[in-house]
Amino acid sequence: MTPLLVSVLGIVAVLGLYLATISGRHTQQPGDFVDAGLALPPWVTIFAGAGITLASLSLPDHLLLLATFGLQYNQVAVGLICIALCAAITQKRVWLAARLTSLRTLGDLLGDYFGSTTLRIYLLLVLFLFSIPFAAMCLSQAGALVSAATANDVPSGLAIWSIAFVLFLCSVIGGWRGIAYLVAAQSLLVLALMVFFGGFTGITLDKLAFAVNGIGTASGVLPDKIPGVIQFSAGIGKELPAGGLWTTFAGLTFALSLGGIAISPGFSFLGVTSAPRRGLAFGQVWMIAGLAAGTLILIGPVLAAEIAASGSLTAFTTRLATLDPMVAVGFTLLLVASSQIAVAFFAGSGASVCTIELTSRYIIPGMDQRSTRFAARVTLALVYGAVAAVASFAPLGATIFSSLTLSLSMQLLPAVLGLCWMRWISRSGVLAGLIVGSLCVVFTESFGLVLFERLFVDLPWGRWPLSVHSAGWGLATNFTACLLVSLFTRSGAERDRRDRLHDAFEESQPARNGSQAATTAKWALTLLWAFFALGPGAILGNTFFSEPIFAGTVVAPGVPSLLIWQVLFWFVGVFIVWWLAYQGRLSVIDERPSHGIVLVPEVNPLLEPVSTPWIARLLDRVTGR
Amino acid sequence: MTPLGKNEALDRHALVMACWLAAAMPAAILFEYGFGRGGTPYILAGFAAILAGFVAHVIVNVVYGTGFSPRELGLGLVIYGLALVLFVVLSLVSASFAAHNFLPLSIGFITTGAVVVFYLITRYGARQAFAAFDVIRDFRSRSPGDHI
Repeated sequence: MTPLLVSVLGIVAVLGLYLATISGRHTQQPGDFVDAGLALPPWVTIFAGAGITLASLSLPDHLLLLATFGLQYNQVAVGLICIALCAAITQKRVWLAARLTSLRTLGDLLGDYFGSTTLRIYLLLVLFLFSIPFAAMCLSQAGALVSAATANDVPSGLAIWSIAFVLFLCSVIGGWRGIAYLVAAQSLLVLALMVFFGGFTGITLDKLAFAVNGIGTASGVLPDKIPGVIQFSAGIGKELPAGGLWTTFAGLTFALSLGGIAISPGFSFLGVTSAPRRGLAFGQVWMIAGLAAGTLILIGPVLAAEIAASGSLTAFTTRLATLDPMVAVGFTLLLVASSQIAVAFFAGSGASVCTIELTSRYIIPGMDQRSTRFAARVTLALVYGAVAAVASFAPLGATIFSSLTLSLSMQLLPAVLGLCWMRWISRSGVLAGLIVGSLCVVFTESFGLVLFERLFVDLPWGRWPLSVHSAGWGLATNFTACLLVSLFTRSGAERDRRDRLHDAFEESQPARNGSQAATTAKWALTLLWAFFALGPGAILGNTFFSEPIFAGTVVAPGVPSLLIWQVLFWFVGVFIVWWLAYQGRLSVIDERPSHGIVLVPEVNPLLEPVSTPWIARLLDRVTGR
Repeated sequence: MTPLGKNEALDRHALVMACWLAAAMPAAILFEYGFGRGGTPYILAGFAAILAGFVAHVIVNVVYGTGFSPRELGLGLVIYGLALVLFVVLSLVSASFAAHNFLPLSIGFITTGAVVVFYLITRYGARQAFAAFDVIRDFRSRSPGDHI
């Protein structure tokens, strides 16, 4: 199987290099290397969005967790709709704000909008987590998959450095446009292979494990039921919840953390650099909420049951190889390609955003276009070198750090909501919320716990206490702090620039709310959906279709009641995202804004003090003596 | 049809490549499995995957308001022709290959050809579709001084 797998991966690599070369050749300005001239085609946003969503979930991990925890973990697949919802609420407004202000990254937008350097630094930290530990974790997985599939003919280290080198070449030749093409093409491949393997295993394998026995989880784990609304356990590492980890609160809060993908610096950069009209809406509704969530909900359990029956992912691949080596190669390609998407996207977007936000702004201000391109290439080399080194030599460290990534990214939600919709959210509120929320995230994840317990004393809780994900703890405290502080500081010093942007929103593309009843219905339905699909109401799905409440009998629907519940709420979820994105015009861009605004007015040196106030005070004190 | 700008042509080309990559991989798996244990249904499914790629290419053309480029047309014809020749040669050389795969491959090749002809006729009409391949008239219409 080794030569076949290497050949197929080689063909995909050659295609990536070809796409990078043609996009590199057609680049009109050297500066377009970093941001593709803000003109990525809509199809890139459409396909790449879905692929990045699947890749961020880490497809191999998702299948393994599904095989370990059964259908209770399938709630996470329903949670993909949260990414679509989050993108629907924020992506168009971020795009508009970028076009109005001529800024190109989320960090610049939030930094200028709130007038906060701390926010810029926080965004760079999140960007770093996505670009290096998160990408390294995915790369290390890809290496392990290739190594296992070739029975160590290709060692993990060799696979890691080869994949990293090819992806680096694609990025350094094609720039941001080349990366986007590569990611979109591989996303389409992953989606096609996911659908293909769902059908192929269903038809080809003699007896589907899912149809015969369901997902064979370990003893003590409920394979087709959610183990309660919440469990008062101390958390992973201290006390495991009975019946499995994925209570409704765990599912809901994990789904919330997935929203962190939609507001991550890289995903926002993809949206900002594209030239969509209906591309954003199509991607959110039909690709992320529709196809990506649907394939995971329907096909994930089938594949996971086979993996559980085979004993491991490698054993399942070997079983596929007995059918035909090409089938096993296809399955390995599916998993490796999904990891490659994450590596290429997060490393590439990280390098571009870092060049714009850090190098051009602080390290070497005033670079011309050629220098900017050179700086971006150097950054790409550094990022890929770091990613490959961490993936090879510190995969555990990468996993521990990357567990923080989505949750910390999600802590930006109040700031992004402030930028997009709520002008009364103040800088002080956002910063207070970020500090409190991030501390909660760090101390409910393994990174903070291990660090604190090694340095000081044992904490009474473990990871995800009360079966609530770290993103949930962070968001709850973050929103509370943000709302309370914003109440008292909503008309602070930077209110003027906040108003300027929101007035420009209203002028260029006002929110189309419709009638009061329609607005209420829209948001009430969204909350109801969240309650029943992911929240405490999802517990009803355990027996809703197998033991109907009013019938008083037990019926056998053929598949677990929970799966029917999940499919039902997937349909409803797609409808809600469609309603918000298209009918509510949250993601449809009618026309490009005709004018620009300046968030930070130019400083007039005649009217402003030459030195900053604290330096002036210090000087006064010294010179006064 | 308005000619595409530089970026649009590049976008279209990349999208076409992405579509064919997504169709070709399942098709390769289906053919490989079909020639082995799978048999007729999987070979036919392989052709269905290729036709799905073709339909995706046509949709891309419609979205971008273009037709197939001469290079794409040429590459498609060459691949189709080579595959057909390979099929005929293998059928003549290997009796077991012919016994197992002749029918599904014949059906597949004929269907693929029929779908392409159907597309050409619905897109251009019968006369124009034929004119595109009418090499003899093309040669005759050249003036004697034209260089090839």
